Amino acid sequence: MKLLGVLRNWVLAGLVLVPAAYAQDVVRIGAVLPVTGKESKIGSAYKQATELAVKEVNDAGGLLVGGKKLKIDLSLLDDTSDAAKSAQLVEQLITQSKVHAVIGGYGSQLVQAQSVVPERYGIPYISGGAGATSIYGRSKWVFGTLSPVEHLAATQMDFLQDLVATGKLKAPLSIALLSEQTEHGNDYAKGVKEYVAAHPAAWKLPLEQKFELYTADFRPLLGRVQAAKADLFMADAHLEDFVNMQRTYTQMGLRNQMITYGARGADVSGRKSLGAAADYIFASGWWSDLLPYPQVKAFNARYKAATGAEPQWYHAMAYETVRALLVAIQHAGSLDPEKIRSALASLKLTESIVPGGVLSFTKTGQVDLPFVVTQNKPDGKVDLVWPKNDKTGEPVAPIPWH
Amino acid sequence: MERLASVLLSSLLLAGLYATMSYGLAVIYGVMRIINLAHAGLMMLAAYVTLTLNTRFGLDPFLSLLVVAPLFFGLGVVLDLTLIRRLPRGGTGPSMQSLLLLFGLWLVLQNLAYVVWGGDTQSILTPYTMSSVPLLGERYGVPLLLVFAVSLLSLVGLTIVLRRTFLGKAIRAVTQNRDAALLSGVNAGRISAVAFGLGTAFAAIAGTMLSTLYAFTPDFGRSLLLKAFCIIVLGGMESFTGVAIGALVLALIENLAAAYTTIPTSFQDAISFSLLVLVLVFAPNGLPALFRGFSRRAVAR
Repeated sequence: MKLLGVLRNWVLAGLVLVPAAYAQDVVRIGAVLPVTGKESKIGSAYKQATELAVKEVNDAGGLLVGGKKLKIDLSLLDDTSDAAKSAQLVEQLITQSKVHAVIGGYGSQLVQAQSVVPERYGIPYISGGAGATSIYGRSKWVFGTLSPVEHLAATQMDFLQDLVATGKLKAPLSIALLSEQTEHGNDYAKGVKEYVAAHPAAWKLPLEQKFELYTADFRPLLGRVQAAKADLFMADAHLEDFVNMQRTYTQMGLRNQMITYGARGADVSGRKSLGAAADYIFASGWWSDLLPYPQVKAFNARYKAATGAEPQWYHAMAYETVRALLVAIQHAGSLDPEKIRSALASLKLTESIVPGGVLSFTKTGQVDLPFVVTQNKPDGKVDLVWPKNDKTGEPVAPIPWH
Repeated sequence: MERLASVLLSSLLLAGLYATMSYGLAVIYGVMRIINLAHAGLMMLAAYVTLTLNTRFGLDPFLSLLVVAPLFFGLGVVLDLTLIRRLPRGGTGPSMQSLLLLFGLWLVLQNLAYVVWGGDTQSILTPYTMSSVPLLGERYGVPLLLVFAVSLLSLVGLTIVLRRTFLGKAIRAVTQNRDAALLSGVNAGRISAVAFGLGTAFAAIAGTMLSTLYAFTPDFGRSLLLKAFCIIVLGGMESFTGVAIGALVLALIENLAAAYTTIPTSFQDAISFSLLVLVLVFAPNGLPALFRGFSRRAVAR
């Protein structure tokens, strides 16, 4: 009898406490990021930016939801850059921590694995770490703040076309194109090829080759680039391959009129590894701290004050991803998943730090924002050279080889 | 003709790099019948130690070999005495326990590197990193030429030790027949420790060399380890000259395919591993043993 009494008390306590533990007076956000492992460099940057974005709102008293200020409770888990673990942790956040929304990781492979989980439970999911188009459009619950990688390539081609229009380069121009054997590389190559196919009079593609990640020796591949005698050299590579390939390119004495490695080039660590061999390489990115908007200058100053470091593109996109989610929750006026999802789908975040200044999602859930183009200059300088209205310096074309 | 000469030279230089990566594996397998799955982790660790010596003390990577090689020799001896020696002995091939232990050691080294140095991509930039010299109408990077020189010296040094010193004879005796060597008074346990130390030192030499050529992270070495396996199988697993030949064969196939076919270079690894499969099926003792068999049959006829 005594035992029954104890059991009854536990059950009653549970009925009171369990709902209290998941009370609607706090916004529960889950995040699964690669804080350790292969993707840890950018994964830990995403963690830093995510925590900063949440801290700013909490320090201001919380998020205004339905007339009430609610604190944000962020549960951030490390998937150690493992795709299977990543998906499992997203499921854990949804089923056990009962989060109202999930912030996704960095890297198309990890985000791809995570993105199948929200559909099962009807929980909004937003990622600032994957530009591969195949991730989006499959589920109404999945949103992404990185523009498609094909558009990165198209932006670069628009930039090059403008160099022809302004007389810096002379058409027709041929391109030797190398891309890594990944989703990202395939999208990049597709973007370049589609542009060339659409403008056959001005552009030729005499060489297009793929390479494996972490290729041991780029000489054979660059030997084919040399033999192609193309005007321009365009590649898409991870940081290690970018450094290794550009070193071999320089040692082999190759000289093309313009060089790009897709999104690589302006990276601080890339420039440190290559020295003067990185000069005049142009790169496209999802963001640059050189964007001349007041909100970007304010963000740069706040970020540096909070962390001691200048923000890179991944800090900015992670930060803005969280901001987009929190503003959507505010607009929804509720923690109901469908209302949050609907608010995300119709979001128009003005005075955003992203290129163009306005963040909104297309029908697939992915953004379609303009890319920026930067060009390295000697002595460690970097200029924003595209979009034209936002440029901080003139593009140098062709490369002044000595 | 000039193109062929240039392809052959590129292959030779690349073979130097491949051989340097593979000597350590061959030493350990030859004496201990253990496949050192921690080889990639040791190369990676050596790359980071070289980076630290370069950034903290301004030591040139090639000069740092004088520090790195002995340091890792000592590490290898310690690993043998504390871990490898505890593995159950028996059988002619590598035991499951040795494979799992060394794989676990690789993971530990990787995670240690993430904790100590972080996940940022690192590289070493020296005044000669981007320099190149013209040879046979093409330009070749100075670091690759220096790596080739080190590889050649390593092969010569190893050959001298094995053929001209008592230690070398003892190593060869244990490689050929451990029990007979024991009966002859060779301290097989001490030889195993020296062999593991030597194998680790060679892994470190490879890691230092690789750090002058590539950017790296704690994940570094995985794909190179697979190539090293391919090379020691091609070369016969126990012979260092065989390793050099295996490295040259692999480098030649990769460069000739890139220069004279339209096969995408992304298929290079597939070509290498297809060759590995063929050798394991038709010449499991390696290419040198296969050629010796052919020549014996030719002489007998």
